Amino acid sequence: MHELLLFASVPVHQHAELLQQLAGLTGMQPRHCFERRLIFKAYRKPGQPNARVGASQDLQKGDLQRVNKMLNGGMFYTQLVGSVQSAHFGAAAADAVAGGAPAAPPADPDTNMDGMDEANPPLPRKSYDFDQQRWSLEFRDIPEAGTRSGVTARVMATAALPAVDVVQLMNAWGYSFVTEYIVEGDMFVQNDTAIYLHRVLHYPTTGDQEIRSPRRQLPNLDQMAPLEKTGSYVLQASITVQDSTNQDAMKTASQHLFALREQLRSAVKLEPADRLALDTRVK
Amino acid sequence: MMSHAECSPPRHTSTPIQVAFEVAPTVPFVTMGDTFNLPLRPHLEKGDHHDTLPAEISQINQQWGSFRDVNEEVLLAKMAEEDAAGGAVESIEEEDENEMTTTERLEELYKKRAEMLQFAMTAHTEATMALDFVSLLLSKWAPRQAESCMSPYLKHAVPLGSIDVDIVNPPPLLDSVAQNSKAVSSGWRLYNFNFASKKLLSAAGRLENEVDIEARYWDSVLEIKEQGWKICRHPREGQTLAVQYGFLEATPVFRNRGLATLRRAHDGTLNLYKGLVPPGSPFVRVSVLRCSTVTGSTTPPASLSDTAKTIHQQILHARDSVFEDELFYELLREAKSMMDCGVTTRHNSIQIPVTDDVEILLELVDAEESLRDEPENAQLDTQLAEGVAYSMRILLSFAHRLNHRRRIRPPAPLASEKPRTPEYHLFRPSLAYLQHVSQARCVESFIHGITGVMRSSGFQLPEYTTEILASLKINQNLPPMTELSALESLMINFLEPIESVFKVNLLTPNSSFTIKMRTNVLEPPYGTHFNVTYDLPAIPDLRSPGNLEMRHEVEAAVTHALLLDIVTKVSSSNKKSSNNMKQWEAIYPHIGELRLPLDYDTYKKMQISLSRDNLTISTNLIHSPGGRGFGEAFQRKKTVESKTWTLRSSDNPNEHSSALDFVAAETA
Amino acid sequence: MATLTNDQIKTLEQSRQRLVQLTRSLGSLIGSLNQSEPLPPWSSLQTQASIISNNLVSVSELLSDNRDLLSTLVAYPGPEYPGRTQSNALQQLLRTKLDPRVEDWVERGRVQGTEQANLSTANPSVPAPSAEKLSEAELASLWEWAPLAANEEARRRDWGANYTLEEREMGIENVVTGLKRTLEDEEEGDEEDEEGEEGEEEMEIVGVHRKSGGGSGVEFDIAPHHAHPVHPVVPLPDILRFMTTGKMV
Repeated sequence: MHELLLFASVPVHQHAELLQQLAGLTGMQPRHCFERRLIFKAYRKPGQPNARVGASQDLQKGDLQRVNKMLNGGMFYTQLVGSVQSAHFGAAAADAVAGGAPAAPPADPDTNMDGMDEANPPLPRKSYDFDQQRWSLEFRDIPEAGTRSGVTARVMATAALPAVDVVQLMNAWGYSFVTEYIVEGDMFVQNDTAIYLHRVLHYPTTGDQEIRSPRRQLPNLDQMAPLEKTGSYVLQASITVQDSTNQDAMKTASQHLFALREQLRSAVKLEPADRLALDTRVK
Repeated sequence: MMSHAECSPPRHTSTPIQVAFEVAPTVPFVTMGDTFNLPLRPHLEKGDHHDTLPAEISQINQQWGSFRDVNEEVLLAKMAEEDAAGGAVESIEEEDENEMTTTERLEELYKKRAEMLQFAMTAHTEATMALDFVSLLLSKWAPRQAESCMSPYLKHAVPLGSIDVDIVNPPPLLDSVAQNSKAVSSGWRLYNFNFASKKLLSAAGRLENEVDIEARYWDSVLEIKEQGWKICRHPREGQTLAVQYGFLEATPVFRNRGLATLRRAHDGTLNLYKGLVPPGSPFVRVSVLRCSTVTGSTTPPASLSDTAKTIHQQILHARDSVFEDELFYELLREAKSMMDCGVTTRHNSIQIPVTDDVEILLELVDAEESLRDEPENAQLDTQLAEGVAYSMRILLSFAHRLNHRRRIRPPAPLASEKPRTPEYHLFRPSLAYLQHVSQARCVESFIHGITGVMRSSGFQLPEYTTEILASLKINQNLPPMTELSALESLMINFLEPIESVFKVNLLTPNSSFTIKMRTNVLEPPYGTHFNVTYDLPAIPDLRSPGNLEMRHEVEAAVTHALLLDIVTKVSSSNKKSSNNMKQWEAIYPHIGELRLPLDYDTYKKMQISLSRDNLTISTNLIHSPGGRGFGEAFQRKKTVESKTWTLRSSDNPNEHSSALDFVAAETA
Repeated sequence: MATLTNDQIKTLEQSRQRLVQLTRSLGSLIGSLNQSEPLPPWSSLQTQASIISNNLVSVSELLSDNRDLLSTLVAYPGPEYPGRTQSNALQQLLRTKLDPRVEDWVERGRVQGTEQANLSTANPSVPAPSAEKLSEAELASLWEWAPLAANEEARRRDWGANYTLEEREMGIENVVTGLKRTLEDEEEGDEEDEEGEEGEEEMEIVGVHRKSGGGSGVEFDIAPHHAHPVHPVVPLPDILRFMTTGKMV
């Protein structure tokens, strides 16, 4: 799959207003979301032991193919993305709470009744169970160099991972954990375009002790600090295209992004990103 | 020049040169007044209006907008004054003003512009003349500077310094002259002050009026907002407010009709402007037809009445109109996908067969003309029609909600083919319910009939249980933790396959059979499907009929089970009473045949037949030489004696009051 | 032929200069009227009218201030003047009779002035019952007071504010605006904000509208203004780089 994107930096003072503008533009209420993102880095040359390790048997067939393709194409950074609720922040770890309710996996849009699948989020729970956290593996290639002017375009793939020890799984696939952060933001949809107004939140620093594995517990939200000190946001507009050889679809996607850029012109300046800033290759 | 100076009044007042200018631009004002046709304005007053514009410009301190605005304001205020003084003239004049076409206005504007220009040029000529004079005079002493200011004509025609000057003793200023100057000066000053004050007062009055008008408009806007409507800036007319009453999730052609402009009339009343919307009050009427005769139909709600007066009512009318139009559009779309169910469509109507003699008719009519003579005894069918009508509208709203959910969900990857918007299910659910219930009633009526026959025949059949629409769990507690509202969960429940269950307990202990009916609402296979399960331990080799498509198959299965039960009952009826008693033996239970051996070559044959209407038991004494052998022996079989018991009405009673008595008698 | 004193020349010179200004501003009005279709912007018209008016006042002041001096001068054609060929021009130059329209104007002023004078002198012992019967002194003091008072009244008003004076006196919290956002009361704002951002914080209604001219899509009307903009210190590429690799550089 291909992904076409535009980005803009949004100063914090403009955030509230832009939210309203986007709500007016898309005719929907913003969907607030928190994502845990775990960054992994390949430590092994490709072509070595394939992905048939560990819990691979739990993968759906299509996902397995995607994972193989993603992980064996070269040395890349890749990330696991897991959706969390605001109630998870500051919640006790599940193993600390006796009889804690098992965390329901986030609803998979494809399995639910058509139209009814608006992720019925599990109710705020008193605990956060890391082992029940569902992850999806997100692979993003380095953006194409200068082939499409005006937008960032890159190869992408996403696969849902089974509920297993993902760190171990990633290690088996030749990837080691680098770091993790939280993305907080609001999602809008305008036809084919996903509009994501978000920012990166850092976990509170734990002295000089280096974190070697993902946290099993989330700190209180007010202890999280924005990566960008002034609290500014990033506006990302993206369209995915199933088949990148479909020139019509690619053209339509660019045009839709340009149209959005024009619509938002007086509010923000959407631009393609610096290609090297999105370089996922391990050097 | 001297006399000019003499004439000039004390400081701060007009000079003759100013006079020339002042006369000029005021004329447009007067002429504008003429254009407005103010017959009430006295001629004297017209004269009074001379020479005011420059004074106004310098004195009013630039607070009052453009020349034209000021003049108009004054005029409007004046008109208002006159109106207040008791004249209906004002409104006529206002109309006159409104009726002025754009071209006329433009012509008027150019006329005024030409006049303005002409007066400015006159003033310029006068001022140039004065400058020429002074310059020529001065050219004697300062030729260079003076020459630079002289008009080309004078420079060319007259040598420099050709005007001399003498110094004389000033003639004494005559009192009369001074008095005169003073009178002119104070006269104009007085006039201008009066004028300015009048103008300020009338402008203030006009502003006040304007404030009232604005306040009236905004009060109406607020009222609309307080009634819960969404007010927004009009997307195409940036300076105009609009009210959003339509449905964001409707098909674009209807979605775009969901906005009306809130216009302000001259007096501040708020007008709803809906743009190019077809007039009238569309209404989707639902009628029930029995044997092609209308036996009940729906009537339009009051909100669709075109006589709506208040803005709120107008908005409601607009909203309901667009909803009804969309409803019929979507109904047509759905109908076209249901041609195979016998649905027929015409331009403004859809006819849907429900059962053999019942049809539903959906028509797009004008609410005003839709009133129909109420057929007699139509109450039940009117309720039915209303039920269908409500469900269609609820389902359209539900479809909107599903559209919204679909729209805000993370978008699917772009592919070359756009997914087609599927038809909504607006009347299919009603159809499914009606058909299901109709089938269920038939099944129930059949069970009622046939078990009734058995009871009347003296069989103590336990009561059967009926659960029509067993699948609806309206009263059950809905799962509380989903994001779906309770309402949506309810809707989903309604759209799940419909089930009804009948359980008939039999004469034989612990024996029963169950009929399950199932009708899909949303997905094929459509139509009602049956499943019949037997629970007859007494007949171990009996297999349940399972899934059945047709009702007569179900009826056959029911009859079969009951017949078997009777056979079982008869064959076991004497067991307990006495061990020595003879025993009916079920030879062919499935066709209701039993046999009672009497001696070696004689037996009684019993034939039981059961139908929805009757139960017949007949016995034959059969003499069969050669005992039980079949084959050739069959030929020798002889029917000796025949008796029949059948269910009769009470006025023609049987010899035996019940079938079992008959059996007992026959057994003896 | 007499020789003029320096003072006299100076006065004439001044009047020449002021007339130059007047002719120029009149010429500029004519020019701008000619150049615009159909009219110049009203604000520019008004400014020009105001300039012309000031020029007239300045000419008028000069003439009346130097009335004594100027009235001793009598102009006449010198021997060099080509009286035979240019007598028309001479008549124009030395004309003392007013243009008929001006004459009319003067006359009307005189009528009004005389009426007033008659009214105020006819029966001075009777107190004036209405404004038209003020004494000369009363009129003079009224005239002195009125422009100042009008000006003062005008200045009391904040012509671009969100609230009227009355609403402010009533207490702005009682005003029903129908708006969810809070309107800024600039008068108070000014007091707090010493940097004097003169109403730059004006809250605009930010709206979206379909593009005009048939194009699809929408656009925002107004770029938002912010009182205290905080610009990001980390550049966008660095943020994206961190999100990709977990490293800033």
